[in-house]
Amino acid sequence: MERFSLLLIQSYEAVKAFKLRTIFCLVSVALGIAAITIIVAATEGAYKKAFDIVASFGPDSVMVMSGSDEARAIGQREKTITLDDIEAIRQAFPTAYIVVPSTWVGSVNVSYKGNRYQSQIVGSSSDYSRAWTWPVIEGSDFTDEDIRRYANVGIMGQEVARELFGDQSPVGKFVQVRNLPVQIVGVLSERGTSPGGGSLDNRIIMPYTTVMKKLQNESRYVVGMRLRFTDLENVDGRVEELKRLLRYLHRIPDGQPDDFRIFTPKDIVKFLVALTGSLVVFIGIVGVISLIVAGFVLANLFLLSVKERVKEIGIRRAVGARKKDILMQFLMEAVMITTAGGVVGFLLGVISAQLLTYVAEFPVYFSWKAFAIGLVLSWVVGVGFGLHPARQAANLVPIEAIRT
Amino acid sequence: MAAPVCIMENITKSFHVGDQDLQVLKGVNLTIEQGEFTAIMGTSGSGKSTLMNLMGCLDVPTSGRFILAGRDVMQLNDDELSELRNEHIGFVFQSFYLLPYATVLENVLVPTLYRDKKKDRVRDRAAELLKLVGLEERMKFRPTQLSGGEQQRVAICRALINDPELLLADEPTGQLDSRTAEEIMNVLTRTNERGKTVVVITHDADIAAYARRIIQIRDGIISE
Repeated sequence: MERFSLLLIQSYEAVKAFKLRTIFCLVSVALGIAAITIIVAATEGAYKKAFDIVASFGPDSVMVMSGSDEARAIGQREKTITLDDIEAIRQAFPTAYIVVPSTWVGSVNVSYKGNRYQSQIVGSSSDYSRAWTWPVIEGSDFTDEDIRRYANVGIMGQEVARELFGDQSPVGKFVQVRNLPVQIVGVLSERGTSPGGGSLDNRIIMPYTTVMKKLQNESRYVVGMRLRFTDLENVDGRVEELKRLLRYLHRIPDGQPDDFRIFTPKDIVKFLVALTGSLVVFIGIVGVISLIVAGFVLANLFLLSVKERVKEIGIRRAVGARKKDILMQFLMEAVMITTAGGVVGFLLGVISAQLLTYVAEFPVYFSWKAFAIGLVLSWVVGVGFGLHPARQAANLVPIEAIRT
Repeated sequence: MAAPVCIMENITKSFHVGDQDLQVLKGVNLTIEQGEFTAIMGTSGSGKSTLMNLMGCLDVPTSGRFILAGRDVMQLNDDELSELRNEHIGFVFQSFYLLPYATVLENVLVPTLYRDKKKDRVRDRAAELLKLVGLEERMKFRPTQLSGGEQQRVAICRALINDPELLLADEPTGQLDSRTAEEIMNVLTRTNERGKTVVVITHDADIAAYARRIIQIRDGIISE
């Protein structure tokens, strides 16, 4: 063991002594490993986030939205789903234990005693928190009675509550929604951001009847609906049936596109993976290229170094180093440098991923896996590209090496 | 009486120069007994460097019989030659050949890196050797911080760390002034007096005078 530690120490001395070589190799390896680290973290982050979203969206949930894909593309969200549709669906699907209409109005001025806030007003039935698995942590949900009475009541997201009420409890207080005085009956728990990146905690939930009549001047149409099924394993089949029923209700002839869209947890995962995917591919190419470049930088600098150290190699051979000892020494130096590069690269990756998250809401997640992959790759570069120069060193003829 | 450290019988060594063979050693017969202090003298081109390379097992003869430390050198492969150098031969070179980035202590320990038969307390032994040549205070120094004479003393410690049968010094004082040269030769003499077989290769008669046996080499043939 003492021999191995001596070899380690001597390699370390060499790594320290040939500073320029060390720095160049280290930096180039670090850049590659940083990129790879980000990819691994981003991939893991995407999966983790997708998993979280599916869990909070509800794996048994389906969302139906008004408007075709085409209409969405040009920014028009024409409402096509009616309350009658929702009632018909409720009747037709006995396994749908929740069928909740959903409609909303964006950017509504809400105020309380001079505090103003731009909120999103969501209209829902009384099952909102159950439909979204989103608990009311203070006060309570509004009731079916409130729906029937067009009551001016609402439950509030955390962010709105903070902005308007600070530390006070909003429950029981009246806020102005446009010109409508609305009594807050409950507060929702913190929810964070949607898959698209917007805050979910800036909203106020009110009875859909109130929102339609008093804020939208609307009697039939809503933006969408949310369903939850008890027969989880059949969600795909239910989606097909739902589609057929809605096409029938909307009298869409065969060959015409749907005037609605249906989202399942799978679609959300797909969306997120696609969002992350392009970036992963881009960084992946950059990472692999920079690792290869790093490898060539290392191989070249080590070849130069072998030339510079011919005498050293000769001395070592003279005092009894075998070819494989010399080979091991140069490989050890290479691996030592690339390992350091790997560690630096990992840290660099963590920092830049944090920046990326900060700038672009990019989901990243660091685990031992990202670190292990980075480390193994750095060893692969060290051994793979260090081997040729190390062989050259090992195959020098001792007397010639010593006489130079 | 123990077996001789080195037996050379009718050794030749040829090099290919262009398309003809150049014979540098033309049948050398030489036996070196244990505990001898021998000087091999010759001018440049006499073949003394070639002889030194052969004796140090850095190169193998073209023909002849060569036994070193009881091994038939002609039969050994590269790894076995390395092992032989490591365990049985200590080298001292004209320009010291220390590793510039390693400390004095680390330099002395280099041969132990390649030793298969494990020896305990190599560090203690290195410190002991350095103390014998008066460098115990300089163990953490780098070679560039030492004078030429000090560097050569470190090199001698390195040559002795694995306790070899043969200490081979190639012009050990070639780069030193006469006073330092005398110091180094005294170190070699004391090493010999402690029982080590020493061979010095030199062109300098004053240096050769330290040895008890002087061998002349001229045109690839030796004479005493």
